[in-house]
Amino acid sequence: MKLNKSLLSSSEFIVFLGLLAVGAFFAFTSPVFLTKFNLLNILLQSSIQGIIAIGMTFVILTAGIDLSVGSVVALSGVLMALMLHGGVPVWAVILINLAFGVAVGLFHGFSITKIGMAPFIVTLATMAMARGLTMVFSDGKTIFDFPAAFEFFGAGQIGPISVAVVIFLLYALVAEVVLRSTVLGRNIYAVGSNIKAAALSGIRTHGVLYFVYIVSGVSCAIAGLVLTGRLGAAMPTAAMGYELDAIAAVIIGGASLMGGKGTIVGTIIGVLLIGVINNGMNLLNVPPFWQSFLKGAVIFLAVMIDSLKNRPSEV
Amino acid sequence: MKPTPVLETLNLTKVFPGVVALDDVSLTLYPGEVLGLVGENGAGKSTLMKLIGGVFPPTRGRIRYRGEEVQFRTPKDALDAGISIVYQELNLILHLSVAENIFINRLPRRHGFVDWGRLYRDAARILEASGMGEIDPRAIVSGLPIGVKQSVEIARALSYDARVLLLDEPTSSLTGPEIENLFGVIRRLQERGIGIVYVSHHLDEIFEITDRVHVLRDGRTVVEMPTSATTEEAIVARMVGRDLQDIYYKGDHRPGEVALEARGLSDAVLGGVDFHVRRSEVVGIYGLLGSGRTELLKAIVGARPLRSGEVRLHGRPVRFRHPQEAARAGVIYSSEDRKGENLFFGQPIWKNETYLALQIGRFVRMGFAQVAEERRAADAFSRKLGVKAPSVDVDVYHLSGGNQQKVCLAKALINDPEVVLLDEPTRGIDVGAKLEIYKLIAELADQGKAVVFVSSELPEVIGCADRVYTMAGGRITAELVGDAITEENVLRYCLQTASPGEAAS
Repeated sequence: MKLNKSLLSSSEFIVFLGLLAVGAFFAFTSPVFLTKFNLLNILLQSSIQGIIAIGMTFVILTAGIDLSVGSVVALSGVLMALMLHGGVPVWAVILINLAFGVAVGLFHGFSITKIGMAPFIVTLATMAMARGLTMVFSDGKTIFDFPAAFEFFGAGQIGPISVAVVIFLLYALVAEVVLRSTVLGRNIYAVGSNIKAAALSGIRTHGVLYFVYIVSGVSCAIAGLVLTGRLGAAMPTAAMGYELDAIAAVIIGGASLMGGKGTIVGTIIGVLLIGVINNGMNLLNVPPFWQSFLKGAVIFLAVMIDSLKNRPSEV
Repeated sequence: MKPTPVLETLNLTKVFPGVVALDDVSLTLYPGEVLGLVGENGAGKSTLMKLIGGVFPPTRGRIRYRGEEVQFRTPKDALDAGISIVYQELNLILHLSVAENIFINRLPRRHGFVDWGRLYRDAARILEASGMGEIDPRAIVSGLPIGVKQSVEIARALSYDARVLLLDEPTSSLTGPEIENLFGVIRRLQERGIGIVYVSHHLDEIFEITDRVHVLRDGRTVVEMPTSATTEEAIVARMVGRDLQDIYYKGDHRPGEVALEARGLSDAVLGGVDFHVRRSEVVGIYGLLGSGRTELLKAIVGARPLRSGEVRLHGRPVRFRHPQEAARAGVIYSSEDRKGENLFFGQPIWKNETYLALQIGRFVRMGFAQVAEERRAADAFSRKLGVKAPSVDVDVYHLSGGNQQKVCLAKALINDPEVVLLDEPTRGIDVGAKLEIYKLIAELADQGKAVVFVSSELPEVIGCADRVYTMAGGRITAELVGDAITEENVLRYCLQTASPGEAAS
């Protein structure tokens, strides 16, 4: 009974109800929405956002932020495209790409812990630098034509399910287990909840911060792999603005920008909510300008409901 | 004939959900007098101040100000009427000037812009009138010594044409000369006919500066009488309601071999600290805020970098670079700042109690936290220490200060440490919880543990410790043992600056 009560009042459950409500609305207004093809499509569309948002969840749990994710996804794509065109084997490209994600995370972790820079500023700088490098390396042009083995990660199918969706769900499962059950996961919540107390409780706070930014960097590398494979092209303008969708999904999912609060389940529901809204509005032929407005309004409403629920009784 | 009181509370009562914080308190303050308000933590002092200051309304009872009944709805009402409160924590904006702080919410304006000339002139006038003419109104607050900051706070309180000034523990972070300076200011305000309520734990100050004293215990008035008609011992007995011997508890232990030893510890604050603690011993460290006591404990466990010096654990040199290393070796520090540095608000009791344990590999298998074991251990320790909560799933945020403190202790003790460094474990908790903690400290020593107990409350240091170090200015100023542990000695040595080699024993 008590468990039910806490489940029913959890942020995740409320957002889940919101997801059902929005889904029901589109199911009534569009005959296509509930088809298997469309639902799988929503899942596919959401998988790249989802992978990025999982990394963002780790970062936001420590009261940090990673604004660089969109640019890093694009840079990852262009780097892989150049390596493939340079004759590097697919397996090596993927490994180097993951190492690139780790390197981005190390750079962020170092700047934040050792130099003491604010995450917002560090990652804002990386956002501009990575986008700039993407343009430099690609000369501003889209790069096509990759081996099928490479495109498999974005465009392949396992039965009716896209490989991209499988990667997303497996990644989410691992992330959920790490956050929920490992000491490292608990330490991430502790650092976000009270970093001074965390250090005095014996937690290696710098190590934890390095870890979450590495997770975010690696998430971008994985998302870059999936996105480039799916499009069959590395575009210098890819993943523009993805950082804001990722942050929105994490916050809609019940996380707090102040850190210490949030779950992977919540984030996934947040990602799906944004995915469903995007998809539904397309089906209903909502003009693009209004789509942006409506998406913003839904984000506002979702976070407002959560804030009202958690509003402190005194100032 | 006595003059009309400037402030009277008549049968003031405040009930919070589930607790009577203040019960039928009648206090009288005459113009030009200093009334001491004393009582243990939780006795109702701050509730009384907040009722007078209009922070919240009384449940029952009335307040009479300058002969007329008043009802303040907000602190601003009280302020405008001429009742100012200076809280223990200073509320200054550090990067602004003295003058801006004094007039923060009513900067003089001309054509919509700040009239800087007038601002500085007005501030200088107020500082002058309060006997603080030497303070430069243009100085930036962050660069001022703490005593001067306090004076600025008082000047701001007075800038509202205050007739009544309530000072909440004004000396808690001041040094000796700064306290003297504050008393000078208070006496000048007295001459101007301002009535002052002076809240303090330091009875020597009460006897130096107050004309009358009002003693609270458990929300009730015990007595209000001229200070000259009583003694420190009598006041303590009335505050506590029992004799001192009953409160403190030395336990039954004989100190063994040296467990932890520090030699020449130095950093930005510490100036060469030597000290040691033995097995089965409670060592008290007494010093004012800023004396280096917290820095000392943090430096030992590696939470602060050391410049030089040596720490030995059971005779072997150790250099902890992180509290985790210290905890693995059995040396655990528990911070005084429960909310800021010790507990994770928003998380349940059991998680709070096991965070430290997880870091040293307890309740862990292959990197996974063993939640069932954690909960069992946390539940057992919470019961043992008497944490009052329906279950260990309760968010620590909802616990009282005393229960939060017990969770902090459980968090340290769940690891069965050999050396426990407790930084002000009784700060801001009620008398009952204090007694339990004194008893626990004695039991730890009885079990053979080495306990370091930092406190800024004199009686408890004297009552609980087998040996006492006094600290001032980042140095140990004296080591007191046995009969040398007296209030007089401890105070004398903690107010002086250390001269090398000096130690009373």
